Amino acid sequence: MPAETHVERSPIGPDDVFRMIRERLAEILEIDEDRITLDSDFATDLDADSLALIELVEALEEELGERTVGFSIDDEDLGDLHTVRDAVDYVMHRLSAGT
Amino acid sequence: MPITIAVDAMGGDHAPGEIVAGAIEAADELGVRVLLVGLEPAIGPLLPAGTSGVELVPATEVVAMHDPPASVRTKKDASIVIAAELVRDGKADAMASAGNTGASMAAALLRMGRIKGAARPAIAVPIPVPGRAPQILVDGGATVDCTAEWVRQFAVMGREYARIHQGIDEPRLGLLSNGEEPGKGDDLRKAVYPLLEGIPGFIGNVEGRDFMHDTVDVIVTDGFTGNVALKTVEGAIRGTAKLVFDTLMSTPELQAAAEAVMPALLEAADTLNPDSEGGCVLLGVDGICVIAHGSSNARAMKNSVRRAKECVEAHVVDRMKGAVADAG
Repeated sequence: MPAETHVERSPIGPDDVFRMIRERLAEILEIDEDRITLDSDFATDLDADSLALIELVEALEEELGERTVGFSIDDEDLGDLHTVRDAVDYVMHRLSAGT
Repeated sequence: MPITIAVDAMGGDHAPGEIVAGAIEAADELGVRVLLVGLEPAIGPLLPAGTSGVELVPATEVVAMHDPPASVRTKKDASIVIAAELVRDGKADAMASAGNTGASMAAALLRMGRIKGAARPAIAVPIPVPGRAPQILVDGGATVDCTAEWVRQFAVMGREYARIHQGIDEPRLGLLSNGEEPGKGDDLRKAVYPLLEGIPGFIGNVEGRDFMHDTVDVIVTDGFTGNVALKTVEGAIRGTAKLVFDTLMSTPELQAAAEAVMPALLEAADTLNPDSEGGCVLLGVDGICVIAHGSSNARAMKNSVRRAKECVEAHVVDRMKGAVADAG
């Protein structure tokens, strides 16, 4: 992998990803961050529809792309992400895989 | 500096030919600067040498009419996406597209962002009313599945847009339902009704028969029923027009009479032609996006650019932000 595809600033862990998702999702849904936990279900607990999830994905790609160039989330995978925990695990997996 | 409108030259059934022709007419007649966004090999030959007020902004991809809205994520160099980015980056004051409606909404939402307090965008559709300014239908189809709170936000934005578009201080606002009584409607209508009672001008439920009649100025509903109602109105207008013209052609006597009445009838019919209104404005996004119908010709696109220009001049986005903030 070419060196320029990694622009690591500092190691990012699951807690950081959760905070990032919580902040962005709270902005998108215009709700208090306190309402969002790891076990929150996007649809049933947060009323987040597919468009809201796409907004979240765009925000995460922009923020995480600054750390890992080329970081992306496949739209096809969105259907498998039901809870915030699913999203955190997915992002950590993609980061560890280098994309 | 003239107002600058980014036009998605690749969007619509008749793109790029009719879109480019409409853009050229708009620049010539409206005094705007048009940024034509699209595939250079397709657009370049359509721009006569010496055309003033129109500039080409190259794109390498196109979102097709059948592509899903999320395709704007994968087609990052599509004309519709670049048009939205030109507005986001302050290089254009507004955008207009006759392309894929869902993709237009997604591109505007993801690139321009939402205004605070507007959870979802809504399309404000002018519905012709004989003898007076058009009604505003909101939402005409941007957000199909809605919560009651989102419909309340549509009402607030639609009311403010009507104040701009119709010049009425306190437009009459009605909730589209299947009966006028407050208890009428499905669960969504029953949940929305009390949320609208505090909005000035709310007159209660209205029905499908109130379309095109001087009984209400703003008709609010979710994007699903709004789009069904819109298409129903369009179909009814076409069917009625066909009935009238077929009748006038049915006998030699009526054909003779038609010669006298036809000019006036055609003039009246033109007021119902969507091409004369141009596009519809997407409310709730942090920028001006005019969505024209997919079959737009040059005239429709010129009028869509006109609509975009009017929205810039009326500071529509600031007015929406103020209305939503004031309504809480």
